[in-house]
Amino acid sequence: MNRLQKAAVLTQLAEALRSRGSWCGETHLQKAVYFLQCFLGVPLGVEYLLYKHGPYSFDLTEMLTSLRADYLLEKQFKAGGYGPSLSPTQASAELRQRHPHTLAKYGKQIEFIAQSLGSKGVTDLEKLATAFYVTRELGKEAPLGLRAERLNQLKPHISIDMASQAIEELDHLMIQASDYVMATEKA
Amino acid sequence: MHKHLHEIRDPIHVFVRLDSDERKVLDSHPFQRLRHIHQLALTSLIYPAATHKRFEHSLGVMELAGRVFDVVTHPDNLTDAIRRSFPEIAQQQQLEYWRRAVRMASLCHDMGHLPFSHAAEKELLPEGWDHEKLTRQIVHSSEMCAIWRTITPPLRPEDVEKLAVGPRKARDLQFSPWEAILSEIIVGDAFGVDRMDYLLRDSHHLGVAYGRFDHFRLIDTLRILPSSNEEGAPPALGVEEGGLKSAEALLLGRYYMYSQVYFHPVRRIYDIHLMDFLKAWLPGGKFPTSVEEHLMRTDNEVNAAILQATLDDTQKGHDPARRITRHEHFKLLYQRSPEDVRINPEAGLAVHEACKRKFGLENVRRDHYSQPREATRFPVLLRDDKVASSEDVSDVLRSLPLVSIDFIPINPSLLKDAKGWLMKERTDIITPSQVETA
Repeated sequence: MNRLQKAAVLTQLAEALRSRGSWCGETHLQKAVYFLQCFLGVPLGVEYLLYKHGPYSFDLTEMLTSLRADYLLEKQFKAGGYGPSLSPTQASAELRQRHPHTLAKYGKQIEFIAQSLGSKGVTDLEKLATAFYVTRELGKEAPLGLRAERLNQLKPHISIDMASQAIEELDHLMIQASDYVMATEKA
Repeated sequence: MHKHLHEIRDPIHVFVRLDSDERKVLDSHPFQRLRHIHQLALTSLIYPAATHKRFEHSLGVMELAGRVFDVVTHPDNLTDAIRRSFPEIAQQQQLEYWRRAVRMASLCHDMGHLPFSHAAEKELLPEGWDHEKLTRQIVHSSEMCAIWRTITPPLRPEDVEKLAVGPRKARDLQFSPWEAILSEIIVGDAFGVDRMDYLLRDSHHLGVAYGRFDHFRLIDTLRILPSSNEEGAPPALGVEEGGLKSAEALLLGRYYMYSQVYFHPVRRIYDIHLMDFLKAWLPGGKFPTSVEEHLMRTDNEVNAAILQATLDDTQKGHDPARRITRHEHFKLLYQRSPEDVRINPEAGLAVHEACKRKFGLENVRRDHYSQPREATRFPVLLRDDKVASSEDVSDVLRSLPLVSIDFIPINPSLLKDAKGWLMKERTDIITPSQVETA
C-alpha cells in the first residue's frame, strides 16, 4: 500500500472504532492496528515492539502524527483525563472515497476489529494485545498456563488470573476472526 | 596532586564538571572528532555565529543528564509506588553505576554523526543505517570498550548503548522500565536533555531568543511519575505542577526553533546542495560505515573538498559546491499551505512533478518533512498528589501546532518565470488525487 492507501485504511479504522463507541485515542489505535496487521494480515508496514503499555509501534505514532499534519485526523478533548481522541476529518472522508478498492479489500478486517475492540478501554486492550504478543512469541499451541505466566512476567501488574482470562479471550477472538472472515468471503 | 575533577568553561552551563573516568571518554578519538562536526551544518551561512560543534553540545548534555538524574532519584522526590517499581534507587552502588552510565551515554550519544550532522543522513548512508546505529557501533568499538573496562565497576557497553539511543533506535534490544526512563532523560521527546541543551545552545549561538526557557526551574521539578492514576500504569518522566509553565516554555521554544530556524527555507536549501555535493564526491555516493573510516571523516575534509570543487569546474560536485560557496543557492518557489493540503495531502509532490516536467529535473528540488512525534503528553503531579495528563491541565500544550514543511526550491535563474507559470497553473496542478483503479 502507498501512503494515501494506508491513510485511507487508518482513518476508516478510526471511523469504525468511534462508531462502535471507542474513545479512539492513540493507545486504542495502536492496539487496533496491532491486531489489524499482525492478526488479520493488513499490510500497513509498521513495526511493533513490546514497550511500556504492551505492543507499541513508533512507526504508527509517526504515521498518525503525519495524518494530523495533513489534516486527515484531528485531536478532540473531553474532560476526565481520557487523553485526546483522534477523529477523522472531512478531508479524510474525501480521501477514502477515492480509495474504494483498498477499502473494499480490507473493509471486513477493519469491521471485525472495530466490532471486537471498539468497546474496550485501554487497560483491557493492553492485556489483550500483550496476550497476543505472548502467543506470537510462544506459538498458539503453547498451553494457556505457560502463556499466562509469560504475560505476567512481562507485565507484573497483570496477575496470573487476569492474564489467563486475557489469553482465553484472545483464543476465542482468534476462532471468531477466522469464522468472520470466512463468512464474509462467502457472502 | 593528581586532579580527579575537571572543569570546562561553557557559555550555557558556566562550568561542565567531569571526573577522570569521564575525561577518558573526552580524550578518546570518537569524542575529539566531535570538535570538527558543526552542530547545525551550514546554518552559519545564514546565521554567521552558528559555528558551534557537537563537542560542546555533548558535554552540555552530560552536565544536564547528571542534574536530572540527581533530581529524579532524590529520596524526597519519589512516590512510594515509584520506589517499589525501581529498587535500583534504594541501592547506593546500583544508583552510582546508573548515574555513571547515564552521563557516559550522554557523552557518547552523538558520536555517530556524519560530517555536518543531520544533513541528508538517509541519502548518504547505506539502507538500514543512521547515525544512532553508528553510535551504537562506536560504543562497542575496541577503543571505547577499553575505557568501559577500566572503570570500577566496569560499565557494560550495552547499557551505554541503550541509554544513548533509546528504544526507538534500538528496537532489537529489550528495555526494562528503569532503562526506558533513563534513556528518556537523554533522548526523550518531552524532557530529553539532548533537546534541552541544543535549544539553549543553538539560541545562544544563532542570536535568537526562541529556544530559551527556564531550564533550572524545569529540571528541579522533573519527576518519575506513573503515566496515569490507573493501577499498574507504567512510569514516565513528568513534571510537578509548579514546573508546568517551564515545560510549556520548552515545548513552545522547540516549536519556534523548528518553524523559524531549523526549517528556514534557505537553511534547508543549503542542506540539499550539500547533499548533492556529497553524493557526487563520495565514492559510490555514500559514507562508509566502519568505525575506522567513520572516524576519519569530519567537516574539515568536506569543507576542503567543497572549496576545491568550487574552483575547478571539471571536479565532481562542482555545481553544488559553487552554489554553497558563492551563495548561488536555489530559491523557494512553493511551500505547502493548509488549503492546498486539504485539497490533496500530496500537493507538494504534485507541484514537484509538474515543475520537473516544465523546468527539468536538474533545476528543481523537493524538501518535505513532517514532525514525526509530538511531546505534549506527559504526567503532571498535581498539588493534591494526583497525576493528570499534561494536555488536560494545559491549554497551551493542547493547541501547540505540528511542524510540517513541503518546499519546492528552484534554480534562481528560473525563479521569475516559474513564479508566473505556477500562478497560472496552480489550480490545475493541485487537484484531488485520482480515484484508484482496480
